[in-house]
Amino acid sequence: MLEVKNLMVFFENAIALNDLSLEVEKGKIVAVLGSNSAGKTTLMNTISGLLVDMKKKEDRRGGERITLLGALKFEGEDILTIKPSLRVRKGIVLSRERHPVFRESDVVENLKIAGYLTEKHKVKEEMEDVFQLFPHLTKLRHRKAGLLSGGEQQMLAIGMALVARPRLLLMDEPLLGLSPAIQSDLARAIRDIHKKNITILVTEQFARPLMPIIDRGYVIENGMLVISGTREELADNPEVRASYLGV
Amino acid sequence: MLSLFIYGVIQSVTLALYALGFSLTYGISGVANFAHGGLYILSGFIAWSLMNTLRLPIYLALPLTVVIAGLIGFALYWGLLVRIRGIPLAEVVVTFAAGIAILEFLVWIGLYGFYYNLPIFIKGGIEIQGVAVDYQRLFVLGIGVILAVLLWLFVHHTKIGLAFRGIAQNEHTALTFGIESDWTGALSLAVGSALSAIAAVLILPMGVLESTVGYEVLIFAVAVAIVGGLESIPGMIIASFIIGFGQIAVAKYIGSKWMVIVPLGAIAFILAVRPSGLLGKFKELEERV
Ligand SMILES: Nc1ncnc2c1ncn2[C@@H]1O[C@H](COP(=O)(O)OP(=O)(O)OP(=O)(O)O)[C@@H](O)[C@H]1O
Ligand SMILES: [Mg+2]
Repeated sequence: MLEVKNLMVFFENAIALNDLSLEVEKGKIVAVLGSNSAGKTTLMNTISGLLVDMKKKEDRRGGERITLLGALKFEGEDILTIKPSLRVRKGIVLSRERHPVFRESDVVENLKIAGYLTEKHKVKEEMEDVFQLFPHLTKLRHRKAGLLSGGEQQMLAIGMALVARPRLLLMDEPLLGLSPAIQSDLARAIRDIHKKNITILVTEQFARPLMPIIDRGYVIENGMLVISGTREELADNPEVRASYLGV
Repeated sequence: MLSLFIYGVIQSVTLALYALGFSLTYGISGVANFAHGGLYILSGFIAWSLMNTLRLPIYLALPLTVVIAGLIGFALYWGLLVRIRGIPLAEVVVTFAAGIAILEFLVWIGLYGFYYNLPIFIKGGIEIQGVAVDYQRLFVLGIGVILAVLLWLFVHHTKIGLAFRGIAQNEHTALTFGIESDWTGALSLAVGSALSAIAAVLILPMGVLESTVGYEVLIFAVAVAIVGGLESIPGMIIASFIIGFGQIAVAKYIGSKWMVIVPLGAIAFILAVRPSGLLGKFKELEERV
């Protein structure tokens, strides 16, 4: 479904992604593991198009700071340089790192804004699905998003991505900063989302809470691919066990 | 006393109309459009030309003026602002320069004095318990209120309005849902300009159509926006009422030539005691971080 080939991203002269290749098969849950500044967010932003947008705006002001090389294919089509809105239309939706929701809007309005490209009657349906997936949000419908707890904001952020009707859902560190209990709740929610025929690419620093639900994983360090394999292969790999599973 | 109240309300709504376009554009795209006063007078001149040069009837000329103003707002974005978007100082310099260019151009082609004026919609007026109010001022009142309601519905219940809310709050997150920042930015300038045109065709018939008025309108709009708290619409309305009533009271008890002191004094006062404005963003509620 998604094919990343020899992707290189430079900020000025610093290299953020170095000759990175990976693949996401349709219907799978794929994890990208990496520690701080490994390049996870850069990868997600490249796939969702945020980086192209950032580059366009900087270039317009005369900067030439960001360089993007390589190939990015979605269902066989090259999407490396197309704008974010076109990617959303194709079904690629990103749930950003640290759940940046619309803080002044209440929960319902957040979901409505996220449904910008979804037909109006479908937005209602999707919203109900979100409240079914996260019953906890139901009683917070009219609470301002800025006042929600971190866990609640994360649920909302995931819900918002769902209202945009993804076929490939990108999740950038959805478990970051949450308690172990909520982490496993969310891992379960991710599996439920996957059951709705949504392919998932998820990044994390630690693999443990994700391990039970993923099909494949890639480990990146300093923007480079270091290990890849199926869940079983990763679980058996001593390096992964030491650095990302903590055993 | 009643006349103070009636004229206070009308003056307040007038100020709100001046400020509406400016505040809306700023609230959505963060662009402080200092060409606002220029666009206001330009809209008046366009309306005048449509009616007097092209001889269009008023009911065609005025809506057309609003549409043209909207297109000018669009052009302003794509022509001047797109490359400097996100650099506030550059935005202010460019829009301010554009505003001055418009106003001075209009002076240059002879837009001053009493030759140019716009017609009022219906002549005459009514008396409310002994206070005479002309129809045009009632139009200002009615249309001002209707616009505020429509705008609220637009922003909270239409896709484009919701896109505006999204992009104003978090541009990058909005992008991930397919909302486009250039498109909304251009649209925010278009809607802001169209609103200033509506204000112009409503209010200019009661005064003179000349460039100096443009500077005044800009000062009023900026005053209302700063006092109310940039990007807060309820704040903007409250500020309009405070300044509006202040002006009418000053006109009545001190003298009408002192009216312009009120917005300037209000800016100075608010910046000294509460720089974010009455309902400015940081003060609205304590948020979790
Ligand atoms: N906009 C930017 N400008 C300059 N450098 C950047 C930018 N975004 C990322 N980088 C750099 O690229 C590298 C990769 O950063 P990235 O945010 O992708 O890491 P990450 O794996 O998401 O880390 P974390 O786990 O901390 O979120 C870092 O060295 C970072 O400093
Ligand atoms: Mg990151």
